[in-house]
Amino acid sequence: MDAMTSAAAGADRAVRFTGSWREYLPIAATNVLLTIVTLGVYRFWATARQRRYLWSRTEVIGDRLEWSGTGKEMFIGFLMVMAVLIPFFLFIQFLFPALVARGKMAAASGIMMLFYIGLIYLGGFARFRALRYRLSRTYWRGIRGGSDEPGWNYGGEYLGRVALSLMTFWIVWPWAATRLWNGRWSHMSFGPLKFRTELDAEGLKGRWAAVYLVPMAAFAVAGVIAALIGLGSAMSGSEPNPTFFAIILGLFLGVYLIIPLMTLNWYAAFYRKAADALSLGDLEFGFDAGTWDWLKLFLGNIGLAIITLGFGISFWGYRNWAFMIRHFHLYGEVDASRLTQSTTHAPGEAEGFADAFDIGAL
Amino acid sequence: MRAVYYDGVTADRHDIDVELDGDWLIVGPDRVPLSELAVADEDKSRLLLSRPGSAGWRLILEQPIEPGFRARLPHPTRYGSWIDRIGLAKASLVLAGVAAGVLVIGYTAPAFIAPLVPESWERNLGTAMVGDFGDNACRNSAASRALAAMSRRIDPAASGRAPITLTLIDVGIFNAAALPGGQIVIFDGALRDTKNPDAMAGILAHEMAHVRRRHVTQALIRELGIGALIRLFAGDVGANAQQLVSLSYTRANEYEADGDAIGALARAKIDPRPTAELFRELDKDDGPDFAAAEFLNSHPASGDRAKRFAAAYRPGVTYTPVISAGDYKAMRDACPLKHDAEHEKEEAGKGK
Repeated sequence: MDAMTSAAAGADRAVRFTGSWREYLPIAATNVLLTIVTLGVYRFWATARQRRYLWSRTEVIGDRLEWSGTGKEMFIGFLMVMAVLIPFFLFIQFLFPALVARGKMAAASGIMMLFYIGLIYLGGFARFRALRYRLSRTYWRGIRGGSDEPGWNYGGEYLGRVALSLMTFWIVWPWAATRLWNGRWSHMSFGPLKFRTELDAEGLKGRWAAVYLVPMAAFAVAGVIAALIGLGSAMSGSEPNPTFFAIILGLFLGVYLIIPLMTLNWYAAFYRKAADALSLGDLEFGFDAGTWDWLKLFLGNIGLAIITLGFGISFWGYRNWAFMIRHFHLYGEVDASRLTQSTTHAPGEAEGFADAFDIGAL
Repeated sequence: MRAVYYDGVTADRHDIDVELDGDWLIVGPDRVPLSELAVADEDKSRLLLSRPGSAGWRLILEQPIEPGFRARLPHPTRYGSWIDRIGLAKASLVLAGVAAGVLVIGYTAPAFIAPLVPESWERNLGTAMVGDFGDNACRNSAASRALAAMSRRIDPAASGRAPITLTLIDVGIFNAAALPGGQIVIFDGALRDTKNPDAMAGILAHEMAHVRRRHVTQALIRELGIGALIRLFAGDVGANAQQLVSLSYTRANEYEADGDAIGALARAKIDPRPTAELFRELDKDDGPDFAAAEFLNSHPASGDRAKRFAAAYRPGVTYTPVISAGDYKAMRDACPLKHDAEHEKEEAGKGK
């Protein structure tokens, strides 16, 4: 028996996506149909079906992944979360206007502040749980992943780092994001192996600075051009309207194009670096999608949705997964006989928490 | 049959032979009852068997599988156990019927339920929600008397019915609103921009109709009932459906309230033309694109409302102002501080 399974064996890639859109089309179509006729309730089952297909078409070192989660467990998880959150939301929904109506602005803003703090904390908690849930439902060669941590501490860490980032206008985000990545992944495991990660902001600061500096430079250039045009039109005696339009156009481009593009540019580097920094036993990971690849993915998603009059949205999950797997790399080897079953607590039905909100796990 | 077996204890791959023996499957050295097996996945190339009692136990059989053996194994879950049982087409029809029923009930129920909600409950809720508006309310006895006189003209039969509380709010936006518990608030901005007391009477009559018709209660029920439910499960599909439901409903309510307001003005012999004029001015502010967007907007376009009020004018009728100019001035001066400050700013702006 060949216990050592090497990721580098042969010229074939260790991780492959073997799905095809024709094969996925009936799944997407019936998911859309059933989601509509159930007024959305089916979406938990739709998610489970989609994952079952995508996982089963993902080959890792010669064996296919398996998704073992069910729609029912996600649905029940969602109901449990709602049972807690809805009374809370209703309370705030009535309390806030009641305080405002009584002129108690300080109390009202205090309540709102607490509300947002609670939301950010829950957001972090949900993110941790989503990752833990996905690993616990992912089987490879009969072995699954998981985590022994419940994620409450991570929620606190997330709140603290996001609050610090907010207070600094997100300038410290590269530090916060990298430490949060470590905070999530270092508590995850697959079989008996713990994920290890020591991601730092080294090499990510320049691109983050560009998120601030490139729009500023663009504004400056737009301003100079606008002034020149204005000067030109003033000399020729015509109305200086072009100046105004050039400035408006510059602002528009800055906000709607340059800032998201530069942020994407940063995230592309972030995920490449984050995957490089991650390891599991003797396995090393890699991710090679550049900014342009991400941009093509997003533009493709939007284009597909437009030309199919919205139906293409049901293919976004497929396209995103295929994108991740095609750019994902695995190096090293795994000792199959020492990759024993995970001893992490097999999570119950309430784990569907974040998946209920479609919060990404990565 | 050749098979790949994972025992769920380690990731070791076992290439083994499996054999059917009565109600048992012989898996290498083990005997497993067929009843304990579940099909985790099946496609053209393979059949993936699991054993729900033992996590990670997996048996992979290559296709084609002998039909006699396959027939003894359960089917994998496809759409969901319930839908698989009755078939996709039938299930879709049944579910679509149920969904249509839920939508129809959700759409019509608030109108049926609202009159059944005791007004005292709603008043308690209203009191809890809005209280007495604290420092935002403009308290001025002359203005209160004028406001009361205006509401008596519009709604003279009010004595036997639940009281309506009218409050002037020191906020400079053009708005008036009916709130739970028979509360109507008029914002200072609306008073400042409405020079003619008869136009203010039209606005007030409209809001009073919302209260009398229990539209506010309907809106609350809709928000807490079907709206909350659909938003809960919806994601993207239902969000749009919910928006359509609540918008078209609100539009029906608005239309009804305008009709009641026109009736109330006619009974009180208050000229409807100043209200029409007000809507025409709003229409101008809205711009021409607004009429096109009428379907998507919760209020009917102001131009159409203007026409409706204008059409209610009868030449033979002797109209009298709703309240005297002096009383209306008291109303407009009720929120003095902010009013003056903003007014001065405006005047100063004009001076430049």
